[in-house]
Amino acid sequence: RRTGEALRAFHTAIRSSPGSSRSQAMKEQAQGTMLKVLTSFKSSEIEQAVNSLDRNGVDLLMKYIYKGFEKPTENSSAILLQWHEKALAVGGLGSIIRVLTARKTV
Amino acid sequence: MAYHSFLLEPISCHAWNKDRTQIALCPNNHEVHIYRKDGAKWSKVHELKEHNGQVTGIDWAPESNRLVTCGTDRNAYVWTLKGNVWKPTLVILRINRAARCVKWSPKENKFAVGSGSRLISICYFEQENDWWVCKHIKKPIRSTVLSLDWHPNNILLAAGSCDFKCRIFSAYIKEVEERPSPTPWGSKMPFGELMFESSSSCGWVHSICFSASGSRVAWVSHDSTLCLADAGKKMAVASLCTETLPLLAVTFITENSLVAAGHDCCPMLFTYEESQGTLSFGGKLDVPKQSSQRGLTARERFQNLDKKASSDTANATLDTLHKNSISQISVLTGGKDKCSQFCTTGMDGGMSIWDVKSLESALKDLKIK
Repeated sequence: RRTGEALRAFHTAIRSSPGSSRSQAMKEQAQGTMLKVLTSFKSSEIEQAVNSLDRNGVDLLMKYIYKGFEKPTENSSAILLQWHEKALAVGGLGSIIRVLTARKTV
Repeated sequence: MAYHSFLLEPISCHAWNKDRTQIALCPNNHEVHIYRKDGAKWSKVHELKEHNGQVTGIDWAPESNRLVTCGTDRNAYVWTLKGNVWKPTLVILRINRAARCVKWSPKENKFAVGSGSRLISICYFEQENDWWVCKHIKKPIRSTVLSLDWHPNNILLAAGSCDFKCRIFSAYIKEVEERPSPTPWGSKMPFGELMFESSSSCGWVHSICFSASGSRVAWVSHDSTLCLADAGKKMAVASLCTETLPLLAVTFITENSLVAAGHDCCPMLFTYEESQGTLSFGGKLDVPKQSSQRGLTARERFQNLDKKASSDTANATLDTLHKNSISQISVLTGGKDKCSQFCTTGMDGGMSIWDVKSLESALKDLKIK
């Protein structure tokens, strides 16, 4: 598995995140997909992936990270914490605030 | 930067007199204390005791020298200086929740009060009955009004609310003024008319500010965003998702530059690029002291590791001047178009005066447009 594939899957997952009109089923499917993509990354690849996002992308990523924390699987939290560290470095505390204040959750 | 610690408790709100020799503030209780500058010191010269609840807003009219205060006791008082005593006049706001903010209009013939009753009371003096009366602006406000700012034409009023919206209303009172001429926000301005409403951000709007010309309005919300609506661009809204904790106060210092501050305890510069319709972060304005960079001993490293699970030297204390959230910013000199000094007060009970020229020379990358 090459780095490029994971990065492409990541961008696809971010881009196709369901917008405002969505069913619970759609949301859960997107969450599952995103979690799979995030956990498939090697630690060393995370920073590059985060840096390739724009401001809205970082905010969206942070929302998915916290959603992932909500429903932990066996190994998910460890890798999510690494994603969190990198996303925080770019998005700042503001991106976490917006996870808390968002009316439309992921 | 001149910092003065007034209290050990938060300064709820403050207002300056015209020549900036006196400051009126609420020391987190039911009173208003007025301090006068005495050389390098501040001496308390008056204590205004009338409110039965915390004073949430103070405004000092520069020309008529009257104070207006509002509080959680659902009342507002207009204070007039008679000799050396401030005499209060009760204003019936007809609200059933706490008043949260108050502002004199530019011509000082009206003032507006925002409250938890989800409405704005526009108060004006009725000569024949010798008392203050008020009219309400209600629709379509759905939650507490946290902040207000008047347009220079004395008619339009911007209001920030807990329903996540910034709105501009007409507060035209035919009893005290002429019909207003058209502005970029619209031409028909009957009382209560909604001239502008922002689309939902996701946070309570803590503070709102018109630019000096009145053609721009900016606001900060609890979702850590700063937004600006430009009437010169058909009310297009530019917004910036900041990396900071939520901002609680914002003011224009030029037509294109804003200073905002909040839970990060430090004022920050933001710039509006008119040609692109974008807002950008211009830097923190708090110049940190030269902290002594001595290395940690092995013992200290181990202690850090034991206590904080980390051996890095990140400070547990704040480097900023204010040691707690800044809740209010006021322009001292130069007006909102050429501000040369502004003032911040916060929950640390301190008041700081910031000099724009000193900031420009101290922070080399600072660009105030």
